[in-house]
Amino acid sequence: MNESFRDIDTPSPRPGDGWRLLSDRERLVRVQQVIGMAAGLSDAPVLAVAAQADGQVMLKFEVPVAADRRGTVLLDLERELKQSIDPGLNVWLEALGDRNSLRNLRGIEIRK
Amino acid sequence: MTAAVQTREGALILDSHKLSYHTDRVQAWEAGERIAPVGVDMSLTRACGAMCSFCYAMMQESQARSSIKPAIALKLLDDFAAIGVRSVSLVSDGESTLAKAYVPFIQHASRLGIDVGNATNAWELDPEKIEQVLPHLTWVRFTVAAGRPESYARIMYKGPEHTQVFERAMEHIRYAVDLKRRSRLPVTLGIQMVLMPQLRDEILPFAQLGLDLGVDYAVIKHCSDDEQHTLGIDYSQYESMHALLVQAEAMSTEQTKVIVKWDKIKDGEKPSYRRFHGPQFLLQISGSGLVAPSGMFFNARYSKLHIGNFTEERFLDIWKSDRYWRAMRYLASPAFDAQTMMGTLPIQHYVSVALDNHAKGIARIQPGSDPKPLHVNFL
Repeated sequence: MNESFRDIDTPSPRPGDGWRLLSDRERLVRVQQVIGMAAGLSDAPVLAVAAQADGQVMLKFEVPVAADRRGTVLLDLERELKQSIDPGLNVWLEALGDRNSLRNLRGIEIRK
Repeated sequence: MTAAVQTREGALILDSHKLSYHTDRVQAWEAGERIAPVGVDMSLTRACGAMCSFCYAMMQESQARSSIKPAIALKLLDDFAAIGVRSVSLVSDGESTLAKAYVPFIQHASRLGIDVGNATNAWELDPEKIEQVLPHLTWVRFTVAAGRPESYARIMYKGPEHTQVFERAMEHIRYAVDLKRRSRLPVTLGIQMVLMPQLRDEILPFAQLGLDLGVDYAVIKHCSDDEQHTLGIDYSQYESMHALLVQAEAMSTEQTKVIVKWDKIKDGEKPSYRRFHGPQFLLQISGSGLVAPSGMFFNARYSKLHIGNFTEERFLDIWKSDRYWRAMRYLASPAFDAQTMMGTLPIQHYVSVALDNHAKGIARIQPGSDPKPLHVNFL
């Protein structure tokens, strides 16, 4: 039996008060501390740019990381953050806007 | 769930899935085995000369674009064949007809026994290209945003005065319809409208255009949006178009079926599933070469789900890697919630609903009966 079926309807963890009641600045500092301690996980310097009360953590690579590495790096960092701070945290990278100059005439803005 | 639509050539399923005809993969998945995708949706480029207002590719920029050279594209197909991929759809993310690999890719897939379909605006699909690819394609779905030239040009290009793009597309679609009839090709030809709530006045002219062109079907589908609501789609407005959509379906003829993707339109913003199992069966690859479980994750924002790039390493190695299966396991775990962490109505939607219901014991996927529906290898 596929083991993942056990979790087919399990709610995803949400951050507890220990995270939600921190200020934006305090959350960011805690994330950056964990990233600093886990520096060996990443090929490139990683910067925390936002850490929201709802558990969304926005990161940024200082230099581009290859497609075969960035998934592993970010999932490893997310695991560290969940274990060290709160299981309700989720890691995302800063979004990129469309590079198609023609489509950009539509004025659609990708939210970071 | 909507039943298949009967056409002259067989049963056409557009508003559901065909997992019942791939129960070998369903059983292997249920046993926890690593399975090859039944189908791959991909593009051969990120480039596109259109500027459709509904285009999800605007939200799919990854980190770097790689050029997909023909030789690399053919090796990708060899790898697909080696692991048992049964179909490839050249759709989304870019206009594949612009790629140098377009014609050789389709012809090579055909030689390998992999079914190929293609969604295109047809602007660059001139008669010469049509002659080269149509005998090798299972289906072609032409993106036609509206039935009236001015509306079409406004939605798909710079403004209503640029109707030359409409005329060009119609010329190419008519050529394909004619070639199919002349050569009795087993390819299905359809046109597709992506319905945004503000386009209600375009529904009936679009259906009429389908009849006039003599294509096999004219399908009307929902518009996807990301979880940031970048396109601003208000799904509550679809309900008010119900009567118009029913009227459009009633225009169906023996030759041309007008089909509404009711299930996706009704499902709207929030899926019934939390876990996202669909990508194991229906994988997506970006026109940048990026391999990620779904087009919903192509943007750099979702880099944690980026697995590799087939222009930099063989797809076979990517598929075998721990990276690939770690991403798939992640989507099937409580770490991921499809209701809040991805856009609406992905290509894997129907499949994901069915797999979720299967895993929950709500509706088990049963083997399908004969005759098989058209395009059975396209989930």
